[in-house]
Amino acid sequence: MIAHSKKVKEGKIVKVEVEVDDVIKKLRITGDFFLHPEEVLDDIEKSMTGLKKDVSFDTIVLKIQNIVKDHNSQMIGISPESIAEVLREALK
Amino acid sequence: MNLKWRVIGLETHDAYLNMALDEAVSEGVRAGSSLPTIRFYNWKPNAVSIGYFQGLKDEVNLDVCRELDVDCIRRWTGGGAVYHDFEGEITYSVIAPANIFPKNIIESYRLICGWLVRGLESLGIEAEFRPVNDILVKGKKISGSAQTRRGGILLQHGTLLYGLDLKTMFSVLNVNRQKITDKMIESAQERVTCVCKHSDAGKMEVYEALICAFTEGKDYELGTWSMDELARAKELAEGKYRSDEWMYMR
Repeated sequence: MIAHSKKVKEGKIVKVEVEVDDVIKKLRITGDFFLHPEEVLDDIEKSMTGLKKDVSFDTIVLKIQNIVKDHNSQMIGISPESIAEVLREALK
Repeated sequence: MNLKWRVIGLETHDAYLNMALDEAVSEGVRAGSSLPTIRFYNWKPNAVSIGYFQGLKDEVNLDVCRELDVDCIRRWTGGGAVYHDFEGEITYSVIAPANIFPKNIIESYRLICGWLVRGLESLGIEAEFRPVNDILVKGKKISGSAQTRRGGILLQHGTLLYGLDLKTMFSVLNVNRQKITDKMIESAQERVTCVCKHSDAGKMEVYEALICAFTEGKDYELGTWSMDELARAKELAEGKYRSDEWMYMR
């Protein structure tokens, strides 16, 4: 399990814990951010499983953006880009 | 349309019932059986609440909490970990249809936090809202709030620091070094403040100032909980908020 956290540019802390071999097996995102509706984070986490370890920043962003759009959800203090950035750094 | 509000005056409950009441009232407002509600409350025993997305073990020193008889609870709202000291703070909740507030979440924080700012101003304390969810006095945080919107209902709750017990606060919270470093601030003393450092007002006087500011221009009645709300809150307190499944969700 790899853990990585940082204060992202939108102002809140994002921590990712990721279980990975060639692909992402499990991902947990925690932090002091806001996301409405809250349950959307479960979908974001699930959508990352199965992605290759070297998945691109853009692919991660796109996946998160699509989920956010599908659920008409709002992120406060974080963004799809910030989550992708922290995840990419964890996967390095 | 002039919305009718219910105001529930300062009460004291444990962490589980406090958070369960917010959820029970949200359900009631959604069903049309509860009036939009403003409530003020304290926490006894003292408690740590963590944000919906936070890892319990990341944020809270559970051993110290057990030692000091401090409850731990995961909130229904996002945001950060807060130490709720019975003597040292007043907590509020606002629960109402989301469509009476700005759609933009920051603007809705600004609106409700504005009531707190006006309450502080009536005590002679100059305060300002700082997005996302803080209120500052002379650049130091005096209040933090958290909001959720579910099923068309907005719930915002937040805390106003009346006094500071930093020693206990930092023994029960695992302080995030990164956050402090980022803000280039040496110590918590330099970034957190409380009402008693800026005013001689007693805690009840502060509460009265808040009630005046929160109800200004509103049609409201001083109310109590219905039997249904209390029963549902007790059910949520025991079945959800006290459960390991909820507590250790992240």
